[in-house]
Amino acid sequence: MHTQATPLLTGRGLVKRYGQQYALAGVDIDIHAGEVLAIVGPSGSGKTSLLHVLAGILRTDEGQITLGGQRIDQLNETRRSELRRTEFGFVFQSGMLVAELTAEENVALPLLLGGRDRTTALGAAREWIGRLGLQGKEHRRPGELSGGEAQRVAIARAIAHRPKVIFADEPTGALDTRTGHDTVQALVESARTTNTAVIIVTHDRELAASLPRTVAIRDGRIEQAVPTA
Amino acid sequence: MNPVQLALRVLRADRRTRVATLLTAVGVAVATALVLLLASLPMAAEARAERALWQQPQYELSTGGGATISWSSSTDEIDGELITRVDVAPLVDPADVTLPPGIERLPGPGEMLQSPDLATLARERPPAELADRFGAEPVGLLGDDALRFPEQLVVLVGHSRDTMPDSAMELSSFGFGDAEPDELLSLLAGVGVVVLLVPSLVLVASASRLIAARRERRLAALRLAGATPAQVTAMVAAETGLAAVAGAVLGVAASPLLHRLAAFVPWAGGTWFAGDFVLPVWLVVPIALVVVVLVVGAAVAGLRRVVNTPLMATGTGYARKPLSWWRLLLVPAAVAVFFWTLTQASRQDGTMLPMLVALGVLMWSPSLVGPWITSALGGVFVRRWRRPAALLAGRRLRDDPKAAYRASAGVVLAAFAGSMALTLMPSLEAESGYYSQFREEVLYLTTSEDRAAAIVADADEALAGYGLDVRAARVDHADITSGQELHMAVVATCAEAKRLLPGTEGLTCRDAPAIYASQPLDLAKAGVHDPSTGSTVPLPADAPVAPMPAAADVVVVDPVLWPSGAPAQGVSVAVPATEKSREIVRTALLGASGGEQVISKEMMLGQQDTQLADLRRVTVIGLVTASLLAGVSAAISTAGSVMDRRRTFGALMAAGTPVRTLARALRAEAALPALVATLGAGALGTAVAVGLFGLVSQSAPVFSPWIAAPVVLGALVALLAAAVCAPALRRVRAEPLVDE
Repeated sequence: MHTQATPLLTGRGLVKRYGQQYALAGVDIDIHAGEVLAIVGPSGSGKTSLLHVLAGILRTDEGQITLGGQRIDQLNETRRSELRRTEFGFVFQSGMLVAELTAEENVALPLLLGGRDRTTALGAAREWIGRLGLQGKEHRRPGELSGGEAQRVAIARAIAHRPKVIFADEPTGALDTRTGHDTVQALVESARTTNTAVIIVTHDRELAASLPRTVAIRDGRIEQAVPTA
Repeated sequence: MNPVQLALRVLRADRRTRVATLLTAVGVAVATALVLLLASLPMAAEARAERALWQQPQYELSTGGGATISWSSSTDEIDGELITRVDVAPLVDPADVTLPPGIERLPGPGEMLQSPDLATLARERPPAELADRFGAEPVGLLGDDALRFPEQLVVLVGHSRDTMPDSAMELSSFGFGDAEPDELLSLLAGVGVVVLLVPSLVLVASASRLIAARRERRLAALRLAGATPAQVTAMVAAETGLAAVAGAVLGVAASPLLHRLAAFVPWAGGTWFAGDFVLPVWLVVPIALVVVVLVVGAAVAGLRRVVNTPLMATGTGYARKPLSWWRLLLVPAAVAVFFWTLTQASRQDGTMLPMLVALGVLMWSPSLVGPWITSALGGVFVRRWRRPAALLAGRRLRDDPKAAYRASAGVVLAAFAGSMALTLMPSLEAESGYYSQFREEVLYLTTSEDRAAAIVADADEALAGYGLDVRAARVDHADITSGQELHMAVVATCAEAKRLLPGTEGLTCRDAPAIYASQPLDLAKAGVHDPSTGSTVPLPADAPVAPMPAAADVVVVDPVLWPSGAPAQGVSVAVPATEKSREIVRTALLGASGGEQVISKEMMLGQQDTQLADLRRVTVIGLVTASLLAGVSAAISTAGSVMDRRRTFGALMAAGTPVRTLARALRAEAALPALVATLGAGALGTAVAVGLFGLVSQSAPVFSPWIAAPVVLGALVALLAAAVCAPALRRVRAEPLVDE
């Protein structure tokens, strides 16, 4: 359990509506640097909405979000994009890698988009691909990788630019249990080396139970926030 | 649920399918309307030619007996606009002369019927500039059925038999029946079908790209659920068929509007009557059906992957599709065959067909070579990239060059044909100045020896009456033999020759009468050739011979030195004019001759200019239309390509990638193949045109700025393709992580 007084990322009174439907109905949440947190809940509970709102992909209708004490919920789209590019990393269910690019190019892409030169970006990409156990597969395309390997490439892509927070939306959804568990472990271990916080949305209670902290959400409200490991 | 019901259900449920269906229908409508228009062109040309048959000489109606009219036609002009003049005298009771449609009555001697535009012009201009030419009073107007095109300037002048021009012939009736087809327009229509149909069908194919991924998944799911290949095929045929039939109906419905627009495009001197473009139903229905069958057939053919391997189609597998280098061999091979056939064609007759086949292969070759070049260009990007935009574009171009190139395929044909035409035209224009037998700003009239003196006298009287100092001169033509050589000779004083003959500007006149020749002339052997007897009438052996500038390829003999009894082979009356006096001089000559043909260098060049302007206009219209279609196809393809990868792009945007960065990459991806294709096809078209020009001329081809037009239009296509990147991505950004 993290005991730092100042959380890295906070959400207060978060409300998100889709028409008359409340996806989030007043959520309060704190995430500390280097913390690993699972958000669990049934389909339609609001867990993905919470992830997207915290990451600045969606705007909140009400409430405040701060990163390192600074309000980020009022930033415009350009600033939020910049924030997501520099301070956050993302891992999605099916990797969402660019099919035409090789593994190392996929990992290097956010760095390149952030203004790094080719040599630096590819160097960092190779380093993270190696750390995630994918040596020798740098030049493979996503279609030539297994599901677990593709997710590791996605993890490398999310962490290569050393973000403060990684958001993972159902990262094991397309994987078998064993591979899914290994993939999450790889994500958690990688994040630990860079003191990056990780927020994982999952409907897999067993997976969530293996993580240090779990937040359960139902009907857009936090049910419990208990340390699990 | 039958396939049509299923297709309707999908249409109701899925907005993007509706958009794609609408675009498919629009593409089919455009294709149908264009083909209907192009198919109607030869018929339209025939219709206008048939209306004008009474203005044309029809020698088969010239009979020894049974003639009803004495008929003559000539062309005239005012301010560069062609006037067709028909002179007629009845040889029987005028009531027994069958009149062409649009002519209500036969004008009597001294009467004339004019087309409405000519009548207006004749009223607006001073009589000396136009009305006096006809020597008749207007008694009515010619109807539309008697006009080649609405604004045609045409006059039917009535005569008695004895006042008809020398060139008159006796005919059994005015011309009627079936006109000869306009071969040039028919050829252009054929080329147009290829050049415009291809981009239209590419547009349809691009529309199906918008829903390709979604449809593949749906059909693959149906295959996995047990649907047979035949059922899946029927579903796609129904889906596409609905759009294609709707599009074809729309195309047929829009066809009259397009015909109306086409009627405003001048051809051979004038625009068209809207009714010229009417196509018979027996032709409309098969054309519409063929377009529908082509579109449905293409959609069904595209199902191969889903039908054969439904599991692969549902996955996210990405396969590289490299191309063989042998494709590159096709261009040099086609060029070699083309130029070989070209040299054969220049040596002997009857080898046009292999040359046309080789030209067809050449036109097809860019579609094979283009993807390879696109792939090679992608390879350069992949090796040399510095920014992510170049990397993304390079990989896409490298891995699936056919797909990247597909949207540009339409403009390639247009660029090829356009470059060819736009290279040939300035070169032909440069050649067109060749009318060395005429001097600039001199009007010539050919007549008989009997009438020449009277025409000269009448013309001079008219010129004086109009206040002009210039006078007409009789110029006799003959052939002079000198040993084995034959020279064209003109009987004229040196001063007249300097005034009236081409190339004589530098001629120095002697004080005494002389013979002027540009080549040595041995008068002991020289004589005037009499073609009727084959004998020669000697020239005076002691006549002085003076030099003539080489530019004037003629021997000028002073009338004093012309041997008596020497026959003239032709008699002309010539009058010099200025730009200001040209129309008045023309009126004087025509009024004096009563309808003989008056020609001038300016008139001949003007007719050539009209033809070249027609070709240029048609080329530009075809190019612009093909480019617009190709541009829209490329834009839709680009949008489809974004939609195919919306989850990837959505994820990148969710991770903070700016739209402008992704848009830059996509713009390069979309625009480069179009530019490469256009430049390549343009270069090839230019090379072919140079070869073709070499076939008809020894001169060097002329390159005008027009040659850049295909490249500019290619850039326009590229811009259109690239323009949709940012809007499509912004649409993805609105819901970046929404599933397909």
